[in-house]
Amino acid sequence: MQSQSTQSNRSSHFSSQSWRQNLWLKNRDSFEGYLFIAPFLFVYIIFLIYPFFKGIWISLHEWNLLAVAFNPDAKEFIGLQNYRDMLWGRGMTWGLDNLLGWRLLGLAMLAPIWWSVQRGALRSKAAIWLSLSIVLLFGVILGIHPGDDGRWYDRRFWSIVWNTLAFVLLTVPLVTSIGLGLAIALNRQSPIMALFRTIFFLSQVLSVTVVTLIWQMIFSPSQGIISNLLQVFGLEPITWITNERLAMPAIVIATVWWSMGFAMVVFLAGLQEIPTERYEAARLDGAGPWSLLRHITLPGIRRTTTLVVILQIILHFQVFGQSHLITRGGPNDSTQVLVRYIYQTAFRDSELGYASGLAVLLFVIMLIFSVIQLRLNREEGV
Amino acid sequence: MVGNKRLYWLMIAGLSIFAFLWLVPILWMFSMSLQPNNLLARTTSNTALGLIPIPFTFENFVRLFTLGLTPRWFLNSMVVAIGMTLLVLILSSLAGYAFARIPFKGRKIIYPLVLAGLVIPEQAVFIPLYTMFADWNLHSSYSALIAPRLAVPIGVFLMTQFFRGIPVYIEEAAELDGANRWTIFTRIMLPLSLPAMTTLGILTFLYAWNDYLWPLVSAQSKEMFTITVGLASIQSNFAQSEGLGRVMASGVIASLPVVIIFLIFQRYIVRGIALGGGK
Repeated sequence: MQSQSTQSNRSSHFSSQSWRQNLWLKNRDSFEGYLFIAPFLFVYIIFLIYPFFKGIWISLHEWNLLAVAFNPDAKEFIGLQNYRDMLWGRGMTWGLDNLLGWRLLGLAMLAPIWWSVQRGALRSKAAIWLSLSIVLLFGVILGIHPGDDGRWYDRRFWSIVWNTLAFVLLTVPLVTSIGLGLAIALNRQSPIMALFRTIFFLSQVLSVTVVTLIWQMIFSPSQGIISNLLQVFGLEPITWITNERLAMPAIVIATVWWSMGFAMVVFLAGLQEIPTERYEAARLDGAGPWSLLRHITLPGIRRTTTLVVILQIILHFQVFGQSHLITRGGPNDSTQVLVRYIYQTAFRDSELGYASGLAVLLFVIMLIFSVIQLRLNREEGV
Repeated sequence: MVGNKRLYWLMIAGLSIFAFLWLVPILWMFSMSLQPNNLLARTTSNTALGLIPIPFTFENFVRLFTLGLTPRWFLNSMVVAIGMTLLVLILSSLAGYAFARIPFKGRKIIYPLVLAGLVIPEQAVFIPLYTMFADWNLHSSYSALIAPRLAVPIGVFLMTQFFRGIPVYIEEAAELDGANRWTIFTRIMLPLSLPAMTTLGILTFLYAWNDYLWPLVSAQSKEMFTITVGLASIQSNFAQSEGLGRVMASGVIASLPVVIIFLIFQRYIVRGIALGGGK
């Protein structure tokens, strides 16, 4: 009986416009729609949205993992104090000469931005916002530092932020340029090129622990393949991992090897989107390979390049395994990065409150880059 | 034209050398896993810098499967990766179909809210998740290893995009024939979405297999380690305990499933990355 009535309703969806039937149809849509999304929505709220806000909540507390596990009331609400301890110090002053070189370098970014506006590659509204943020960050904020008798509340925090940033600044250009170069070289239909593409992507599918297992052996001064090779030529082995200046380059090299395939594949997809007619037309005009590269290929994948760079920045800010397993953050904290600091603060020192604050900060950094990426995509969509 | 051809072969030669160097780390791991432990304790560069496994032995692999926890870890990883993949496929295809095709009330609000979850990284939630699973006494269990990852909305996004691309008239025809929504979904939409589901499934499997931070935090008993975490736990002290050859054999075993899947489904993986990268 019931099935008969739904039957008639369904066919009337296309024929009759009776409002009562429409109402039922609309409600049926809502009912069924929620039934379909309910399973996902359930896990989404419980395992992503709720923990996200709980993380912010924890960061407002003095929250010791072991104490609270023992007695749920052993936490203390302290407002924003964790953030103050992280970001601020005692006896802070502002100096023009603090980090002067880096700040000048940062301010120098204004030039290419306004040059892009002149060429019409960037809208002036976007350029104004970018310039304002740059002036604020490099001109003002980075001048803040502890005075002669002051100090940061957390002596390690800013150097760890700097290490993470250095890791990103070294890794991203290398991954992007190697990925781009290989994509341009391998963008041909032939079996041997397909084989090359497979080989260069292969390292990407390995897990971080396999990558670190291999590379800590490669860098080993006594057993590593680099040392063995140097020994053949009678040279001294290099102490990569225990050398403060070489530890960071070592994990950068391992990371480039591990994550280059992703950039290459995105670039290959971007290259496919450049219409072949453009190349043919330019060739008819007598353009050589270099001029094809400069005037057609590179401009054609400018969007892709921006995308790769931003996705890489987001990805590599989350670096953890390489630092945790190859160098263990050392020597002397020189490869200690944010996520490892969060991990240790939470699970070695049991300071969940402070660790959550660090995690919120990491989220904010990554949110900034995600928003930039969304903005760029929207511009592309228009 | 002749000059072009020479340039081409020069490029092939250069790429071949680079590709070989790129493979050296993997070859070396593989080669070491096939050399005797006592030899490796003395030298890691016996034949051709150790890249050729002479003298040769299978002992490391045999030992691996008779001693130690590696087989258990491998099994754990399989359960977690397959379980997570199946559940992600079910949840994402259901939700994706609804967001793409069912005009339910609130859809225009809920869908953006779901996508907003894309900007929340794992590192921002792993501490609160830890406390939640600790409160529920669920750490060191398969459900703890699987559940948090199901909440990531990238699968819903991919499936919604895919279902939106399917022409509406197919459903309308089925609807005229009296098919209800569930029948349309299971009999028509799901079979059509097989390529998208394959892509999503493979990427999820690779992610699950290689995930490190959450299993490291949640799997506290050695018996519940995934292979990724287990491998990390033995590599820090391999010289004394396990022997280099056996650790390398564990690395090979840990890589085998993902490498095989990659070689078979390369096209899907590449498409998925291009798609996801283009989001």
